[in-house]
Amino acid sequence: MIIGNVRIELEARLSTPKWLYAAVPALSLLFAFVVGGVFLALTGHSPIGTLWLLIERGYASTKGITNTLGSATPLICTGLAAAFAFRMNLFNIGQEGQMYLGMIGSAWAGIVLAGALPGFAAVPMVLLFGALSGALWVLLPAVLRAKLGTSEIVSSLLLNYVALNLVNYFIFGSRGIFRDPSTSFPQGRLIEESARLSSFGTTRTYPTVLIAVALAIGLYWFMKRSNYGYETSVFADSPNTARYAGMSSTKLTLSVLLFSGALAGLAGSMYVVGPAGKVDPGLLQIGLGYAGIVVAALARYNFVAVILTAILFAGLREGGASLQISSNPVPISIAVVLQGSVLLFALGGEVFRRNRLRIRRVQQVSVAS
Amino acid sequence: MGSHRSGGAALFALSARQITKRFPGVLANDRVDFDLLPGEVHTLLGENGAGKSTLASVLCGLYKPDEGAVLRNGTQVRLTSPRHGLQNGIAMVHQHFRLVDRFTVAENVVLGHRKLPFLLRANDLEDQVAQVAERFGLPLDPRAVVGELSAGQRQRVEIVKALYHGAEILLLDEPTALLAPPEVEKLFETVRAMTQAGKSVVFVSHKLGEVVDISDRVTVMRDGHVTGSVARGEADTRKLAELMVGRDIDLSPRRSRGVAQERLLSLSNVGLTKDGVDRISRVSFDVRAGEIVGVAGVSGNGQRELAEIIAGLISPTSGEVTINGERVNGVGTRNVRKAGLAYVPEDRLGTGLAPSLSIVDNLVLTRDRGFLVDRKSAHAEAELFIKQLEIKTPNALTATRKLSGGNSQKVLLAREIFAAGVNARVLVVCSPTRGLDVGAVEAVHKLLDEARNAGKAILLISEDLDEVLTLADKILVLYRGSVVHEAVGDQVDVEAVGLAMAGLS
Amino acid sequence: MNSNVWILTFSDAISIATTLILATLGAILTERSGVINLGVEGILLMGAVTAFLVGDGTGNLWLALFLSVLVGVAMATIHATLTITLRANQIVAGLALVIFGNGLSQFIGKPVEGKSRPVTIEPMNLGALSDIPVLGPILFGHDIFTYLTWVGALVCSLYLNRTRPGLVLRATGDAPATVDAQGVSVSMVRFVHTILGGALMGLAGGWFMLARGTAWSQAATTNGIGWIALALVVFAAWRPLRAIAGAVLFGFTLQVPFTLQGQQINILPPEIVQMLPYVATLFVLVMLSTPRARRLLGAPKMLGQPFVRDER
Repeated sequence: MIIGNVRIELEARLSTPKWLYAAVPALSLLFAFVVGGVFLALTGHSPIGTLWLLIERGYASTKGITNTLGSATPLICTGLAAAFAFRMNLFNIGQEGQMYLGMIGSAWAGIVLAGALPGFAAVPMVLLFGALSGALWVLLPAVLRAKLGTSEIVSSLLLNYVALNLVNYFIFGSRGIFRDPSTSFPQGRLIEESARLSSFGTTRTYPTVLIAVALAIGLYWFMKRSNYGYETSVFADSPNTARYAGMSSTKLTLSVLLFSGALAGLAGSMYVVGPAGKVDPGLLQIGLGYAGIVVAALARYNFVAVILTAILFAGLREGGASLQISSNPVPISIAVVLQGSVLLFALGGEVFRRNRLRIRRVQQVSVAS
Repeated sequence: MGSHRSGGAALFALSARQITKRFPGVLANDRVDFDLLPGEVHTLLGENGAGKSTLASVLCGLYKPDEGAVLRNGTQVRLTSPRHGLQNGIAMVHQHFRLVDRFTVAENVVLGHRKLPFLLRANDLEDQVAQVAERFGLPLDPRAVVGELSAGQRQRVEIVKALYHGAEILLLDEPTALLAPPEVEKLFETVRAMTQAGKSVVFVSHKLGEVVDISDRVTVMRDGHVTGSVARGEADTRKLAELMVGRDIDLSPRRSRGVAQERLLSLSNVGLTKDGVDRISRVSFDVRAGEIVGVAGVSGNGQRELAEIIAGLISPTSGEVTINGERVNGVGTRNVRKAGLAYVPEDRLGTGLAPSLSIVDNLVLTRDRGFLVDRKSAHAEAELFIKQLEIKTPNALTATRKLSGGNSQKVLLAREIFAAGVNARVLVVCSPTRGLDVGAVEAVHKLLDEARNAGKAILLISEDLDEVLTLADKILVLYRGSVVHEAVGDQVDVEAVGLAMAGLS
Repeated sequence: MNSNVWILTFSDAISIATTLILATLGAILTERSGVINLGVEGILLMGAVTAFLVGDGTGNLWLALFLSVLVGVAMATIHATLTITLRANQIVAGLALVIFGNGLSQFIGKPVEGKSRPVTIEPMNLGALSDIPVLGPILFGHDIFTYLTWVGALVCSLYLNRTRPGLVLRATGDAPATVDAQGVSVSMVRFVHTILGGALMGLAGGWFMLARGTAWSQAATTNGIGWIALALVVFAAWRPLRAIAGAVLFGFTLQVPFTLQGQQINILPPEIVQMLPYVATLFVLVMLSTPRARRLLGAPKMLGQPFVRDER
């Protein structure tokens, strides 16, 4: 870009100073709060007071932080699902639908299988079925991508809507196994008690949060050290090199997408074994699948960082929700505004982490012809 | 040469004065002078990395020189972009064509033209394009989709495009690299037609032999300097070669010192048919321990397919490949490697190496990795190679794309020759010195020679005939997928090889 | 069966198609330049809420629509700046835009939630044409934007295939380096068309609100139409005229469940019928996956790839 006789250029950094890794997300958050503050002020709310309250009720109180951890739990899973695929340049944006399928699959296992299983096996079985269902839901996009090279973006997206209608059908359209038979009110049938987990004390945090965190750390270690992690990194960097070394692009693409789908499915399962206990159309309103992509992008697809960004996001949501209850209620959507802005700023900031601005004087160039 | 500067500069269609261009770590052009007469064919000759492409890029406006001036008809011009170059009648045809595959020839040719009306009429444009093509003897169907054309035809599209946009001076960067010999002849005819119409042509080439005939003048570059300029008639291949390389070039070939022993790689009647076309047909040869067999030929005559068949990346449709006596066709590249093959593909960064991964991780690539990757021993190995082969890099964890071409090639060769272990006794190497500077070329040749002396069986597939002549104990010429000529290293009839490459034997 | 109901269904399908065509044309223009903007849904929502708020505040229909276009432009500018200037990942930036638009439209629309539509885009009076049996009500009972949108698709098609800037646009999506070598700024072409696309998406949202919406409610307003538009781009193989056919088909499948429900016809549950357009698009996607189809009809080659000039 040239302004007057000054040229502003982006120049690739040879090495990135350590502090920038922390500064970019921190500044993004700050700028997002500024944007949120502006809209709050415009709508007649005190920006600083409201945002402070949001932080307090989202993170800085026992109730706030436990609520946050509870809603962060499935978000960690969808975040891991997105990170896992996006690292490989496979843009699975069907986490939303895969998560719904996870919910359906888990509920099925919880209703049909759990009764016949010994108590200790019920929860793992329900989680397993959720993961499998999520993987199943990405199978078609995965096969299309691996075998024909069809972009997975649109195909995985389309299936979100099919899944959404499927959930609606099971609850509103049919009187099948997922529907509560005891009432004419359309709602899900509860799964077996043995397949449900109770929360810690009176909080809304479920033990599944430990599974999610362990998954994140385990994945981090596995992808860094294992041969599978190595092969995916070669393939992500240069598919030709992977082929040269005898790696199967079909197998890698399929496995990464299926595993990503399974992680998203697990998010649905955790919703079932935890707070919901049934197929609950309420999940369709939260957008945890799309948010997972945002969480992953903010974490720059680092599995451990996903834990933090998921908690950050969930906290904004919980804090935002609590603002509805006050003398001058603030719509919960302020949280979504904040979430969107954080990511927009982080995306912009990423450039300054990779590049630096060079401002140079240029001589006026005379054009002879 | 010096007389050019004092003489009337207006005489020249295009001149460069004291051009200096630096890239990070490289002085690509160092005070270079260059003059082009109207109606002249002028060749810029030099080895890879001599700076000739850089100079051409400066002349067409792609690069801005750090110092020096470009003169058009004696007047200084500051070219700010290729488009600006074109406005001054200067166009460059790059080695990698810049065409839109899905467009028709006509759409490609007219793209970006200033005088184009807002509303386009396909028929009118096609007629115009056909006219330009015809005038210079370039047969082209303006309605053809470019993605379905051969390399030679695409080059014609590029030339027609330049002419359509009003180019008076055409810079052709390595124009014969992708052409089969008959197409080269056609290209030369076109060039003659252009000079007869008063246009000037600059040939950028590293191929000594073929440019001498067509050129009115040859300017030779080396290490960013002009080392000499020779007019037609004075051009003598030996002298030009000397100017290019800067010393009496060591034409003394490196040959096997021992007697070739057991057959390690053998192909018998190997064929490959794809889309109904024979890409490789009935190729048979052996490579023995301690020898280098060279495969010469113009690019696109089946070299890549041949290498990939041997490497197990594609399965031949007929015939048999054996390594160490083991039949390997169809077993997959991992098993071929287990049978004893190492493979250096033509595309170093992007096939042989993963560009964003570190040297260490690239050494891991062809290892047996097990469940967990052992990076510790690979790291030690990397340090060793860096020291022994004098690989210039900050450290072993540097991404290979940050290395120079020569250094990344050293990493790749080190992995394929040394890290692969004693088991890998067959080495297939494709165009190992493409794009490397003279120093690196020598280092690579030395490595290959050492590998041969260590008893490896090496198949060297290269489009650089000189490279094959220098290194190979036995030479095969590949033309349209067949071996059309065979010769033993020290009894080579270079002319016969050349004819065979042109498909004329 | 009551034939009037079906006439109404077709008429509604064509009406809904208006917003789909507008959004799809916007996405086609954007994607043809090599930029993928997944933020359509967010832009539609912002366009809709803007139209509602401005209409509510001023009662001026045209001002309301104009400002939805401007909001679309603003949203697309964010996307363009992030992805073209700052080279951020286009997929992620688009999704961020959806979330941002989703949240912001809900937030600024909160005060008017549940209020009914302040101004209305009225159907045109086409006189005798609308009296033609069957065809009249189906084709000639719409507002001016429906017809303008059809013309718009035609103009888009001509622009792409028959004009100089259209030629450059197509080349930019396929081979930006070629365009760059011709001295045309790739960034400029991409910026302009991303923003133009955003304008159309903004209008799509505004029109939908004021022509078909009843009351403002974020959850119910666009209901995934933005995502459908992205599917339609593929369905239409990046060709504007095919977008009309696809949009009408999608509009029909969106409308049919309501008709069936109203008529108490239970051949298929409405949820299953609502799946059909997505399944149909998936089918088209598979059909387009053969190498030949992809070469001739497929996505712009450099879709989603930032352009960086390769200067050593």
